[in-house]
Amino acid sequence: MFRNYFKIAWRNLIKKKGFTAINIIGLSLGIGCFIMISMYVTDELSYDRFHENADRIYRINSDIIFGGTELSMSASADPMGATLQKDYPEVENFVRFYASGGSKLIKKGDEYINEMAVVHADSTLFDVFSLPAILGDTKTALKAPNSVVVTERVAKRYFGSPELAIGQMLETDGGSQGLYKVTAVIKDIPKNSHFNFDFFFSMANVNYRFGNFLSHNFYTYVLLKEGTDYTEFNKKFKEVIDKYIVPQAAQFMQIETIEDFEASGNKLEYSLIPITDIHLHSARDFEIGVNGNIQYVYIFSAIALFILLIACINFMNLTTARSSGRAKEVGIRKVLGSEKIALIWQFLTESTLIAYLSIFLGVFFVWIALGWFNSISGKELLLSTLFSPKFLIFILLLPVLVGIMAGLYPAFFLSSFKPIKVLKGKLSIGHKKNTFRNFLVTFQFVTSIVLIVGTIVIYKQIDHIQSVNLGFNKDRVLVIDNSGVPYNTRESLKNQIEQIAEVKSASFAGYLPVSSSSRSDTTFSTETVMTESNGFNMQFWNIDYEYIETIGMEIIQGRNFSRDFGSDSTGIILNESAVKLTGFKDPIGKKIYTSDNDANTIPKTIIGVVKNFNYESLRENVGALSFTLGNNSWASAYKFNTEDISGLIHTIENKYGTVASGMPFEYQFLDEAFDNMYRQEMRVGKVALSFALLAIIIACLGLFGLATYIAEQRTKEIGVRKVLGASVINIVRMLSTDFVKLVMLSFVIATPISWWFMTKWLEDFAYKVDLSWWIFAATGIIALVIALFTLSFQAIKAAIANPVDSLRSE
Amino acid sequence: MSNTILKLSQATREVNSGSNKIALLDNLNMEVKEGEFISLMGPSGSGKSTLLNCIGMLDNFTDGGYVFLGEPVHSMKERNRSKLYKEYIGFVFQAYHLIDELNVWENIETPLLYKNIKSSERKALVADMLDRFNIVGKKDLFPIQLSGGQQQLVGIARALIGSPKLILADEPTGNLNSKQSTEIMELFSELNKQGVTIIQATHSEKNASYGSRIINLLDGKIVSE
Repeated sequence: MFRNYFKIAWRNLIKKKGFTAINIIGLSLGIGCFIMISMYVTDELSYDRFHENADRIYRINSDIIFGGTELSMSASADPMGATLQKDYPEVENFVRFYASGGSKLIKKGDEYINEMAVVHADSTLFDVFSLPAILGDTKTALKAPNSVVVTERVAKRYFGSPELAIGQMLETDGGSQGLYKVTAVIKDIPKNSHFNFDFFFSMANVNYRFGNFLSHNFYTYVLLKEGTDYTEFNKKFKEVIDKYIVPQAAQFMQIETIEDFEASGNKLEYSLIPITDIHLHSARDFEIGVNGNIQYVYIFSAIALFILLIACINFMNLTTARSSGRAKEVGIRKVLGSEKIALIWQFLTESTLIAYLSIFLGVFFVWIALGWFNSISGKELLLSTLFSPKFLIFILLLPVLVGIMAGLYPAFFLSSFKPIKVLKGKLSIGHKKNTFRNFLVTFQFVTSIVLIVGTIVIYKQIDHIQSVNLGFNKDRVLVIDNSGVPYNTRESLKNQIEQIAEVKSASFAGYLPVSSSSRSDTTFSTETVMTESNGFNMQFWNIDYEYIETIGMEIIQGRNFSRDFGSDSTGIILNESAVKLTGFKDPIGKKIYTSDNDANTIPKTIIGVVKNFNYESLRENVGALSFTLGNNSWASAYKFNTEDISGLIHTIENKYGTVASGMPFEYQFLDEAFDNMYRQEMRVGKVALSFALLAIIIACLGLFGLATYIAEQRTKEIGVRKVLGASVINIVRMLSTDFVKLVMLSFVIATPISWWFMTKWLEDFAYKVDLSWWIFAATGIIALVIALFTLSFQAIKAAIANPVDSLRSE
Repeated sequence: MSNTILKLSQATREVNSGSNKIALLDNLNMEVKEGEFISLMGPSGSGKSTLLNCIGMLDNFTDGGYVFLGEPVHSMKERNRSKLYKEYIGFVFQAYHLIDELNVWENIETPLLYKNIKSSERKALVADMLDRFNIVGKKDLFPIQLSGGQQQLVGIARALIGSPKLILADEPTGNLNSKQSTEIMELFSELNKQGVTIIQATHSEKNASYGSRIINLLDGKIVSE
């Protein structure tokens, strides 16, 4: 029976090559896109699941509101892990990461390389996480000071092989302290991990005042005992706060209980987040790497599903439109004794067969497009994942699903013909009004229009962010990493470079208004004794005299730091948001107070107010920030004024080479660093653009097929009309009107839907573009023009045909 | 005596045309016995095809009784009806109605597929039928490659493959030239002698004369037998 179905399906496919091509191309584009997004989503969902204990590992998050400044951090205080393990039996183990500046210079041969993927970790690292060793004993590897565990690729790069690496010394720029023995080599950490370090240094070498509950500088992971409910455990942090943190805080501010602290609008809260949730659900301050976003996983999944639906609808429409071609067969089969259900099976077999053919082509499309998709999405997906058992089952079952989705309606439609009618040739279904088909076409265009509007809005928003008044000037600023330059030569090097004609101004720039730069924050109060009501937390950046000019910021009250005033080391410049927190009407000359590590009160005099500038992503409003004079020499910024940028860089590189030979010369432009903050949005924009285009292409492919068929069906009618005097225009209009109406209806439906979605999306941004009416109008016109173009091709062809030919055939 | 295959009593087929009811078949009474070869005659629109369709259960009488092999068709459900005709009735059409995408062998085989007959048995039956109709050499050809007469031959072979008790032929030679017509009618005559009951609708006196009984229809009524 099935052989018979296959045979007839196959012969039908061969006979109608045009329709088969449109069907298969449309479906395979849809399926290809669906597979690709499935790979993307699977990868996003797979993060950190490779750890054996993945379901028991949690990171401690800290949420602090102090004096109006809100901090939601992925890091916590250094004693937290050990305290939890000591006091609570549910905590089996813990490990901390300390990233200290984020990079280390490591010597390879005669040169130093600036390694970014470095971290200090507790020796319990390997008890918590599953990071299998190639060589060495990970149980003891990080116990001794001056030990380092490296990944396989680092072992190969620095020593040639893991065997050659083990036991060797690794030299860093940390002076005599900076020699580390390679005690173990582990396998490279999988890509789908929220941390991707290559060097794990022993925690004993961290230079830090340990035991401080009030500074949050350590990523802390706890391993809970089997069966522990972490949401229950979260409630116990209250005890920790009362028992350990409040007493410590009381040393430098007036605080008796946490309730006092919270009563004045402040907050201190700790919580656990499952490690498998970090990648998609955590976007906190100081995350180890750039995380994904569950929202985009949802959006992409929805897009994939909709594109597949659009492709399935093509199949439905084309199949039902040319049903008269199959009607006779249905009639005969029924007369020969076929039951309706047998015919339904037959047509489902056919659609499934087409789906299988399409998946081959679809996988081929994936193969072609994967490199490109990786480059725009920032992923490293491999085609080979498709051949893992799980995916293989998915790929083999997908066509059955698609076959049923696309084939069910046509199967019921075709199998319901009455034999007596179709065999007498009374049936001409082709251009009859078909409400369901109209609904399907409308659905396709609504989806396409929503996608197009979405794409335009995303692009507009990215453009808006880049042109918004930032409060500083990111153009033509070169930022150079100084970590390889000996500390005592940095100043003279900077002065030398400032002498270059093309350099307009130069300053140290350890802190920059881009999120990839360093940050530091501290606590201030408006009176000498800090209480929970007069205290507040703000960014606290060390700068030099030239910084504000070089970065192009604006002093709106008071003055900049100046060498003419001997007392400027006690001065402080606030931004407008910080002034608001202090509550001062006239801030210049007022004093605010902070404390040093030994809890001594340090007064600072406000000498100026800088105009608010955006130093975090434009998703957020500008927070409180302050400048003081101090060391920030680990990077330099040079404002330049030349078109010959590579020449300038070459000159500067030579000057660096003379004082820091063998050290890496690393630079970036401030505007590039700024754009990088919006890389995720740009990626989403590009991916959305591609899929919007794909959706409209598939929808038009279907429209093209439908138009072809209908023109074919009405050949005779067109012939008669022409003989009766209809012009080509009349005919084209007759053939296009119905579809144009559908496209316009789609536009009307799609506008509120897309408006709603994009308003939601924009809510995430503090600075957002207006959803102006022309975006919708333009999209409507684009959709209409594309549809008309698709339709007119067939309509004109039918309209200019010689009526003699079409009428003779009957 | 021979058994009754079907019996119509007061069988009526009405259709609505606007607000009027038009009787396509009007109170027909007839009985067909096994081994008969009946020719239905009458001008276009007299109800020949409708009667054949109703007898073949592709269409239903709107009133009256229809008993087929002792079963009351008029009170049956669609499903059972379809079972009944699948088992006992073969159709031959004026336009042959072969499935264009299937070759001769496969066309003849199709009814057997719907009767769930095993592959080996199907092969034997189809081979036998091809042999009987002398079309073994054409088994791999598609309908479009055959002449009208050959197509109708295949159509008849297909109607016979399920060994039906009754063959319904609606103008079986309507699209054929006179030589081909004669061959087809001879074949029907031969089959009838072998015991197949046949009802054919025809315009042609000559074709009608092959039958053992002629029923004349006019405006849905039997005017003479």
